[in-house]
Amino acid sequence: MAQALVDLLRDNFKEAVLSSHSHRGDEVAVVRRESVQEICRFLKDGEARMQLLRYIACVDLLTYDTEMTGGGALASNEVPAYDLAKKAPREPRFQLGYNVYSVVRKQSVRLRVELRSDDVKVPTVTSVWRTADWWERYLFDMFGIDFIGHPNLKRILMYPEFQGHPLRKDYPTRKRQPLVAELEFPDLIRGPGPGPGGAGVPMSQTHVGRKNVDPTTYD
Amino acid sequence: MTEHHDDPLALEADLPSSLMTVNLGPSHPAMHGTVRLVVTLDGETIVDAVPEIGFLHRGFTKSSEASTWHQVLPYTDRLNYVSPILNNVGYIMGVEKLIGIECTERAKYLRVLGGEISRICDHLTCISAIGLELGAFTVFLYGVEARELLWDRIAEWTGARVTTSWTRVGGVATDLPPGFVERLRECLPRVMELTHEIDVLLSRNRIFYDRTRGIGVIDGDEALDWGFTGPCLRACGVNYDVRKAHPYLVYDRMDFEVPLGERGDTYDRYILRLREIEQSHRMILQVLDQIPPGPIIIDDWRYALPPKKDVFGSIEGVMAHFKLIMEGMMVPAGEVYVYTEGANGELGFHIVSNGTGKPYTVQVRGPGFPILSALPRLIKGHAVADIIPIFDSINMIGGEVEQ
Repeated sequence: MAQALVDLLRDNFKEAVLSSHSHRGDEVAVVRRESVQEICRFLKDGEARMQLLRYIACVDLLTYDTEMTGGGALASNEVPAYDLAKKAPREPRFQLGYNVYSVVRKQSVRLRVELRSDDVKVPTVTSVWRTADWWERYLFDMFGIDFIGHPNLKRILMYPEFQGHPLRKDYPTRKRQPLVAELEFPDLIRGPGPGPGGAGVPMSQTHVGRKNVDPTTYD
Repeated sequence: MTEHHDDPLALEADLPSSLMTVNLGPSHPAMHGTVRLVVTLDGETIVDAVPEIGFLHRGFTKSSEASTWHQVLPYTDRLNYVSPILNNVGYIMGVEKLIGIECTERAKYLRVLGGEISRICDHLTCISAIGLELGAFTVFLYGVEARELLWDRIAEWTGARVTTSWTRVGGVATDLPPGFVERLRECLPRVMELTHEIDVLLSRNRIFYDRTRGIGVIDGDEALDWGFTGPCLRACGVNYDVRKAHPYLVYDRMDFEVPLGERGDTYDRYILRLREIEQSHRMILQVLDQIPPGPIIIDDWRYALPPKKDVFGSIEGVMAHFKLIMEGMMVPAGEVYVYTEGANGELGFHIVSNGTGKPYTVQVRGPGFPILSALPRLIKGHAVADIIPIFDSINMIGGEVEQ
């Protein structure tokens, strides 16, 4: 059943579908990153009726071939420097997996997009599924993937001052972050009263509580 | 003054008002867990809202990458801490899918039994919280009493009320203790009686009805677009339940219905959970009737720990035990996405293995994450007081949303 879906994709996007395979019942189609938006639009609005974007996964393949098992490897998952020096990092380094599903046809397929480490850009699919908004923000936060055209690409789980992208394999598990200076009193959101909220600009649309605004410039 | 009184339209004229920003949470009793909602108000009306999450972020994926396959289990307990067994089952089914094995027949029934008990607990928590926060404290006490009865059963079965870590690859950790079935059969009628009490207290209650009916409405297509699953999606009339659409374990042998809502409002989301409790109750009784005797875990020492008798009595047992504990089991390389019906929707795990004793990555699709992203859409245009019932009815769980 799901194989028919991959064939449908192949028929309609000859150049864009690079390869396809099936593993443990999951159908995977590797697609070119430039056409991901177009293919998603086709999957959602066409006969496939993939209305539900379940999840966008991202896999960082940096240590896929070098990560060890057992013994010392259990104590930490930090990348030993000698491993990286011995073996060039795997390219393309990132794999995005768009798990989409059709409630009507009860079929699912995974689109895979491969990204090289020097160019982690991919077109956004927020215009196709609204739920992609937060998943893409999540991937930007955790892996530093740059979604071109995303309306609000900000960190979602981490705070804005966080440095680095924690789910990349070269981010050490035990790394400490620098302390963030305490915010000054006028920057806190205190509801009514003078501030950007009263000047016609809703505060929630600005960068809440993070900018150092001089209190004398308030309306 | 007088001309204002003479002109009736003056009373209806818009009062000029400026927008006001109100900060709900992160620490507020009604913002379950710790989520912050920055609401922009025009008078009483919500014009904009931005949910801010991440206060409960614990690095689930990063921690999992540094653990063996079985060491991830305790982390999954803490994803949805109200129905941990459903998370345990979801994760371990992903590992089994990667390996390509199935658990034993009895373990399948046990997983369904544990899962449905957990689902009742989760729905009871959600319903009680809606009642509590709309002023019906009695409902909360009834709900918690029923939930405690079930959690007591889970505690004597798995050893813990909520941190169960109870599944294993190829089976489960503990069989039903002696006398468990009798005690469960004894306490189930009381649970259903309390659920019925909640039903008659709330469902036709004028105040409750007025505060939930027609509030936070969303239709099926839009809900799918936002990534809704579970009770929140079925409240919009979309028939998607993983247990029916893609039956796993022994759900194909269970006789149950998928209740559907019509309007997709807060009331539908509430009433649907009540109906689902009844269906879960039906399934529990069927499991108790059908459950076969037999082993609770497979007899393959590459994946399952050997029995203690063999560990202490044979060299093969010692070796298998040592390898499993020190290195973890070797899961063949591959990538799978596995999905089960969690209490609040589709619980997905995206698991990648590079063929070693620890997962290369484990990523979780918490059902609450996409639903919470639609919260601004649901509350926009309503009054401040409507935030609470709407937020309660989507039953966002901080543990799984913020990982």
